[in-house]
Amino acid sequence: MSGVKLDSIVKAYGALQVVHGIDLNVNEKEFVVLVGPSGCGKSTTLRMIAGLEEISDGQLTIDGRVMNRVAPKDRDVAMVFQNYALYPHLNVADNIAFGLRIRKESAKTIDASIEEVGNILGLTEYMDRRPADLSGGQRQRVAMGRAIVRRPKVFLFDEPLSNLDAKLRTQMRAEIKRLHKRLGATSIYVTHDQVEAMTLADRIVVMNDGRIEQIGTPMELFLNPANAFVAGFLGAPPMNQITATIADGGNGPVAEFPGGSLALAPLPDLQNAVGKSVIVGIRPEYAQTVTEPGPGSVSCDLDLVETLGSEALLHMSLGNKPFVIRTETLGNIARLNSVNGFTADPELIKVFDADTGLALSGQTRAA
Amino acid sequence: MANMNLYSRGDKTFVIINMVLIGIFTLSTLYPFVYITAMSFSSGFAATAGKVVLTPVQATAEAYNYILSDRMFWVSYGNTFIYTIGGTLMSLAFLIPGAYALSRPQLYGRRFWNLIVAFTMWFNAGLIPFFLNMRDLGLLDSYFGIIIGFAVNGFNLILLRNFFEGVPSSFEEAARMDGANDFQVLWKVYVPLAKPAIATVALFCMVARWNGFFWAMVLLQDEDKIPLQVYLRHTIATLSDDPEFTATQLNASYSFETVSAAIIVCSIIPVLIIYPFIQKYFEKGILLGGVKE
Ligand SMILES: Nc1ncnc2c1ncn2[C@@H]1O[C@H](COP(=O)(O)OP(=O)(O)O)[C@@H](O)[C@H]1O
Ligand SMILES: [Mg+2]
Repeated sequence: MSGVKLDSIVKAYGALQVVHGIDLNVNEKEFVVLVGPSGCGKSTTLRMIAGLEEISDGQLTIDGRVMNRVAPKDRDVAMVFQNYALYPHLNVADNIAFGLRIRKESAKTIDASIEEVGNILGLTEYMDRRPADLSGGQRQRVAMGRAIVRRPKVFLFDEPLSNLDAKLRTQMRAEIKRLHKRLGATSIYVTHDQVEAMTLADRIVVMNDGRIEQIGTPMELFLNPANAFVAGFLGAPPMNQITATIADGGNGPVAEFPGGSLALAPLPDLQNAVGKSVIVGIRPEYAQTVTEPGPGSVSCDLDLVETLGSEALLHMSLGNKPFVIRTETLGNIARLNSVNGFTADPELIKVFDADTGLALSGQTRAA
Repeated sequence: MANMNLYSRGDKTFVIINMVLIGIFTLSTLYPFVYITAMSFSSGFAATAGKVVLTPVQATAEAYNYILSDRMFWVSYGNTFIYTIGGTLMSLAFLIPGAYALSRPQLYGRRFWNLIVAFTMWFNAGLIPFFLNMRDLGLLDSYFGIIIGFAVNGFNLILLRNFFEGVPSSFEEAARMDGANDFQVLWKVYVPLAKPAIATVALFCMVARWNGFFWAMVLLQDEDKIPLQVYLRHTIATLSDDPEFTATQLNASYSFETVSAAIIVCSIIPVLIIYPFIQKYFEKGILLGGVKE
């Protein structure tokens, strides 16, 4: 059981507390992604797991063993750094072998491991090169090679792709995913990029301001965000959020806001919340365009159409707030310029308490 | 091409003035070498009469004959090698771990230790207290005294510390994750990374040791332990006081000027030989490529 367990983990720098009690269970072979805005404590949390930062309070267990006071080298974890931190004076083979040599493995084992890792990562041709003579993607691979060669119980990644250009990032992302499938090692991956989080994770941990906002599979988080923060963070473009008040619409709750109203799902939580100030969340993908607003639809003005190819983004104004709709272009392009409103499936509308930000609509949609 | 003009007139003037200044500076540094070499190959008569300017006058190698046949020249030359090599190694043995420790944020009382080191750059105890200190430690008249007594210099320590501070901490962290202990982090990662800085400091140490004169003169009584520079001074003192030397000076093939010049030339040669080997480390840092720049 190579799981990692964080129990009320706290990090404070002097009087300044930056991680406020994190609880997290990472199962064996699971790929967990910590995601959140810059400065929210992801790296700090990861570095506490690695042993590079002292844990101020709480308990860290790896493989059932308490690790709070165990040196990094004895935790059997490997880490890929954002800047790679390849040893510039060593060639690729020696970079990969560094940890094995330190651990006094036999020359035979080392040679076999280098070869295997070289094959897995496609580095065989570059073994004699110094890091300075490699491209960004190759350096990234060497950094991964240095981590996997030791066959650690747990892999830690701190924004490993953020120094690559967009194309290479997509490619390496897929490679990391493939590698995880192949090696099946427990992995904790830090990123501020929600696309990386969505594509790589078995489970995503959304962090904000030193706390966990929500833990779940990518689709759980996408469809049923626990609060307005998670709703706004995952998905691109982000979920539209409209300030509204819940009213009784006769045959179910409705959200009323300047410029219109929308029917909500007939959930008890919403029915009981009549008169409450809320934030109504509608994903750009889940708003249906209309050209002749009628009852049940909301009218708004079209500002701009961005055509992406198979899809288009419609930038609308609702009242004077922006509202974005993502829609198919195929067979639709001619009418996009005359869109002047939208409708939304009540089941896909999220409702959050305006004061606490917590979701009121519960789980309305299964993944 | 003819009317391609990437530099304005002001830029050109600036470049020309720079070249002239650099040229003057180079010549003024180079001239003493040329002068001393010419002197060492001139006759004693010409040297004493002040006739040597740029090239040897009445060329002769007699001055070299004189010093190369003096046992003390060889003894002191050997001693200078001992002080230079031993002293530089001793310095590096203290400076590298010391600078590394001072550069680590986790060092307990780091500010205090750094302050103490910086303090020695501004203040020192002075000649007599230092001499008494060395005497009481039993370090007078010993190779070891000279070597250890001047091993650590605040400036070099801080120079190296600053370099270590500039190395991204992820190198240390990566090595730690790879299983390295403190010593291995230093030896297998930081020392190779710091080669250019270490070479610089080593060169400073070597030059200081090679030219070291004052303290060797103060601390060493035993002739067999003196370095070349002290021997040079002895020679100048003895020869200029030697009545026989002055008496025969008119037709002498060597004089104390040419002998001193010959000793100086001999003492410069090893530095000239070593420098090209060290210079390659100054060319560029090795850090490039290890981290994403
Ligand atoms: N050594 C430190 N001393 C004080 N504050 C720190 C230190 N390291 C990080 N922090 C603070 O901790 C917070 C979390 O940082 P970090 O974990 O690096 O965030 P991120 O989620 O971007 O990786 C930030 O506000 C940062 O300023
Ligand atoms: Mg970070």
